[in-house]
Parts: sequence; C-alpha cells; structure tokens
Amino acid sequence: MSIRKIKITENMSKPKVAIVSLTSCEGCQFALLDLGEKFLDFVGKIEMIDFRLIEDEEDDGGELDLVLVEGNPVTEENVKTLESLRKRAKILVALGNCAAMGGIPEIKNYHEGVNTIKHVYKYIQGISNPEIKEIDNFVKVDFVFPGCPINGEEFLKYIPELLEGKIPVIPDQPVCVECKAAGNRCLLLDKKPCFGPMIQGGCNAVCPTSRMTCQGCRGLRPTGNVKAMRAALKNMITDHQFENITEIFGLRDDIEAKEKLSK
Amino acid sequence: MQIKINHIAKMEGHAGFMASVLNGDVKSAKLEVQEGIRLIEGVLIGRHYADMPTIAQRICGICPVVHNLTAIKALESAMGVSVSPEAEKLRVVMELGQIIHSHSLHLFFLSLADFLDMDNDIQLISTYPEEAKIAMRLRDYGMDIVRVIGGRVVHPLTNEVGGFKKAPDADALRKIVTDSSQALKDAVALGEFFKKIKIPDFQRETEYICLGKNGEYAIYDGDVISSQGLHIPVEKFESNFQELQKQTELIKKVVHEGKSYMIGAIARINNSRDKLSPQASSYLDSLNFTFPDYNPFHNILCQMVEVIHCIEQSSKLIKELLHSDLNNVVTGKYEIKEGVGVAAVEAPRGTLYYHVEVDHNGYLKNVNIITPTAQFLSNLEDDVADYIKEIIDLKDADKQKKLRGFIRAYDPCISCAVH
Repeated sequence: MSIRKIKITENMSKPKVAIVSLTSCEGCQFALLDLGEKFLDFVGKIEMIDFRLIEDEEDDGGELDLVLVEGNPVTEENVKTLESLRKRAKILVALGNCAAMGGIPEIKNYHEGVNTIKHVYKYIQGISNPEIKEIDNFVKVDFVFPGCPINGEEFLKYIPELLEGKIPVIPDQPVCVECKAAGNRCLLLDKKPCFGPMIQGGCNAVCPTSRMTCQGCRGLRPTGNVKAMRAALKNMITDHQFENITEIFGLRDDIEAKEKLSK
Repeated sequence: MQIKINHIAKMEGHAGFMASVLNGDVKSAKLEVQEGIRLIEGVLIGRHYADMPTIAQRICGICPVVHNLTAIKALESAMGVSVSPEAEKLRVVMELGQIIHSHSLHLFFLSLADFLDMDNDIQLISTYPEEAKIAMRLRDYGMDIVRVIGGRVVHPLTNEVGGFKKAPDADALRKIVTDSSQALKDAVALGEFFKKIKIPDFQRETEYICLGKNGEYAIYDGDVISSQGLHIPVEKFESNFQELQKQTELIKKVVHEGKSYMIGAIARINNSRDKLSPQASSYLDSLNFTFPDYNPFHNILCQMVEVIHCIEQSSKLIKELLHSDLNNVVTGKYEIKEGVGVAAVEAPRGTLYYHVEVDHNGYLKNVNIITPTAQFLSNLEDDVADYIKEIIDLKDADKQKKLRGFIRAYDPCISCAVH
C-alpha cells in the first residue's frame, strides 16, 4: 500500500470541512485562528479541504460534510462560490454577522443603496455593486454562528455536534444573563442605549463588559421583545437614533420584518 | 507568454496574479483583485461620528486596532478633542500589541513555508513544532496586550473619541510585563531561527516612506518622512501623494510624484533603525544588512526586528503606565465641533491615513481612508516585474511558487486595500 493510500484510509473517518470567506474582513476566520492550540486540535479532528489562511493547495471540488461561510456575496464569483459550496455540502453554516445578517456592508441598503459607490469611486463601470443580501437569500443555511466577530469559544462548543451531522440549538437567552453573571453594572441604568435584553446571548457579554453598549450583532433572540426594548430606550434615544444603531450590524431589516408580522 | 495564478492563499483577502511576458520583456505584472467592494467610506458618510471607530475597524480582521485608532485620532483632530497622556500611551501600547501579533502571524504562519518549499502550515508545524510553539506564544502575547486594553482581539471595544470607556485591569497589565521577559526570549530565539532561512537575493531601488519622530521609533504619530529626504506634516500627505483609480480597478493605488514607493516594516527599519530598542537593534546588527537595504524579501526579517522592538517598548510603556493613575485614561467631557481632521498611524503593513470632515452636529460629511496595501501595491508590481526576469527559465509550477512566495513576503491585505 502506498503512503498516499494510507493517508486516504486514515482520512475516511474524518469529516471533510471547508472554511470559506466571501467578501469580508475575515475577522471570523481570525477569531478561529486566534484560538491557537484549541483550533489546531479541531483541525486534527477533521480533513480540512479549504481554509486559505493556512494552506495553498487547490480544493479537490468533492463532497463536503461541513461548510462554514464568512462574509457577503458581493461579486458574481462570490455568488458562484456560495452556490457551488451548497451543492457539495451536507451542512452549510453562516460564520458571523455579515453572512447571517448582512453586517457593516448592508448599511448602504438603508441609505443611498447602490449610489453609495459615488462617494468612493470615480469610475464605476464594470464594478459589481449589488444591494447587500444575507447568504440565506441565495442558499439554504442550516445553522448560524452569530456575532461580529463570532465567539471562538462558542464555536468550539457547538462544532462537535455539527461534525456529527447534527444541528445545534443556541438557547434563547438575552445577552443580559451573561452580563449579570460577569458582575457588570447594567448600562441601561446609566442611560446608555444597550440592546442586551432583546439580543441573543452566548457572546459572554463581551461588549457590555467593556462598557460598550450591545448593538445587536448576534441578532434578535427568538422571544426578543422589540416593543419592550423600544419602550425601555424611549427616554435615552429617539426612534431615529434607534433605527441608526440597528443599521450597524444589519439588524434593522430583521426588526422591521418582525414588527410587520406582529401588526 | 502569460503567467497566471488563480488565487493566492495565505494572505488577507482574495487576489490572483497575472503577468504577460514578451521575448523576455515583462509587459505587465498585476495583482488581480477578487474581493468585492464594501464601500466603507460611503457607508460612513452621513453617519454619527461615534459609529465611525466601530465601523471603520471592520475593514480588517487582522489589523482592526490600527483602523480604530486612526479613525479616533482623525475625529479628535477634526473636533479639537484632547486626550490624557495616559490614554495616549495606552493606545501606543495597543498598537504595539497589534504589530506583534500581526507580524508573528505573517512571518511564521503565512510566509515562512514559502522559503522552506512547503505547501501548508500543517506540514510546517509538524516539521518545526518548537518554533511553531514559539511563534504561537508570541502571537498570543501580542493578542493579550490588545485583549487586556481593548476588551477583545478582533474588533476591540474600549477605545473611543476622547479616551477609553474603561481603564484596563492593573493586574492584567502587570502580568503582561511579567510575560514580556519570556516573550523577549522567544522573539530572540525565533529571530535566530529566521537567520538560518535562505532568503533570495533580489534588489530593486525604491523610496521608503513612514512616520518619523525625533527621539523615538515612530508608530503612533510623527511626520511623513522618506528615504529621499521628504519631510512633511501628515496634513500635507494628500497634496503630496496621489490616489489613482483606473477603470474597473477596485484598489486606488497611491503614487508619490508619479512613482511607486515602499512602506511597512522594511521602510521603517530603513528610515528609523537608529531609534530601535536595545535588543532589536543588536538583532538587526547581527543580520549584517547594508543600508539602504533594497531586498523586499527582507521585509520578513524587518518584521522580526520589530517584534523584538515592540515587546521591549510595550513592556517599558506599561511599566510607566502602572506608575500613573490608570483612571486618567477614561474619557472626559468634550464638545462636538465642526471641523476637518487627518491622522496617520503605523499599521503592521505601513502607514494608514484617515481624513474626516465632521459637521456641527457630529455627522460625517466626508471620509477618505488610504490603506498601506493601496500604497505599496504599485511597488509590489514594479518589483515583481523585475523579479520575473530572474525566474523566467524555471518551470511554470516553480515560477508560480516563487511568485506566490514573493507576493506573500510583502504581506498584502486585500480586504484593507479594497475596503
């Protein structure tokens, strides 16, 4: 038996995984890489088919057990990559806020839309400049690792289930649970417009722990109460300011959809 | 003949490469950007200034600290906000941490395999497990600095216009000082390892540009200086350097008097090496470079020198901070004022410039961001065009390998360059 064959046999039991970024800052991939040894342990348990931050080999184009997609489909090539990954993958996961909710690039949708480009480029012909859409507008998404960036520890918590072919469920609890457990003074008491109560926890309340208000990068939790949140913030910020904050991480369209549904 | 590389992995963002050579003459050599536009400047215009550091740092997942700091400095300059010396010092330390972790990642995990003829880091790590551990520890050390001060490594949280939302924990800072002696040992050991790597001998003259300051190795502020004698305040940067956009190109490449120039670690070492900290300075001496040094591959060794420098310097500054009142870093009261502001900070890959205009209500009227990779891209392409001539007789696959290695040694960040 050749060495190559031995390698293939060894790999047969290991799930094939690809971590792919579309247009993005790649911060979610760095949040993984920054786990250091823990990330290498994870890499040891899988067959990494594509992760361009660490390897320069061509992807073989075969079937995949798990695909993690970061970023926004902005170029035509991005869209093709996304669609082809979906065809190859048993499970496709959105890695972070841009893929899941549109992220920072989606801000343009709420204002000047595709005309935003005029502030940046003199020649705009031939440049892909679509409205920003979350990846679930293009392909079916099986699970979301929320956040901008994702929480590396949360990734390690749920990845074993995904590698077994199961879809994890993130418990429906607000950011406030972990925030209180960290012993933080509630920012709302200091009249700081924190979205913690309506937003999906699991981030270890990393923002409020740094006295930064939650701006909702992990998205609404299933039972998140937008109406109650608006009421609680009424004396701190105007409706207009509320909308503005929800734009930063692509939360605004989700809130609008939810409010429309409850009317 | 055409040389085409579909995708260059192991760098930030997506790009390929294309060159055409006719009878031994390189007609063109260009990085082909495969990144989409995010229009960060465009989405900032019309927004409240307080959102800017949060949004702008998301240009880049590897160097968010420098985008955050430069945005804040530009806004402070526009609105005339002053910060405490302690807050300023803490920002410097944060940027040093950013440089340490970005450089450690690049010089070991992104670039080294190219000089050892390996295709991936799994192979690299299993061949050099001790060195890999050292590089990882160094990266962790840099990340710890950013985490302790900024609250998080990727997209830090505590910085804002006027200072910090929260003072860092003094015990955590003390631990960084304690850890710095091991980090310094590690960096020197890794430096010795890098000396044994065979670096290609390639030279092309260029102009080196970076921030310069009397009496210190400029990172957080200074004037714009060059190896050809240019010395201007940051305010004059935009009138001396030109951003050019060619049709259908997504990166606005920058030139100085119509010519390409180089920035980043190699530029800083060329221009400011006499201001390095003691161990960094003696490591640089041991490399026996002749200055001016025009070998772009030396960028990696210059990054190694800077890792040593940043460890020594950060530990020194943290010690000073621990002798002052850390609560002074917390943001005080300031007024929102109309104004125009510019700022520059040395990012791991070179000088990052921000220009902002704020209206009397604190909304952004104009934003321009000039990233390091947009500045050195023309220099990279000019270098590559020369380098191709030296490798023209190699087999296609080997040529591609050499070119990938060359481009990676530059440490380009395509996410930043397009933003």
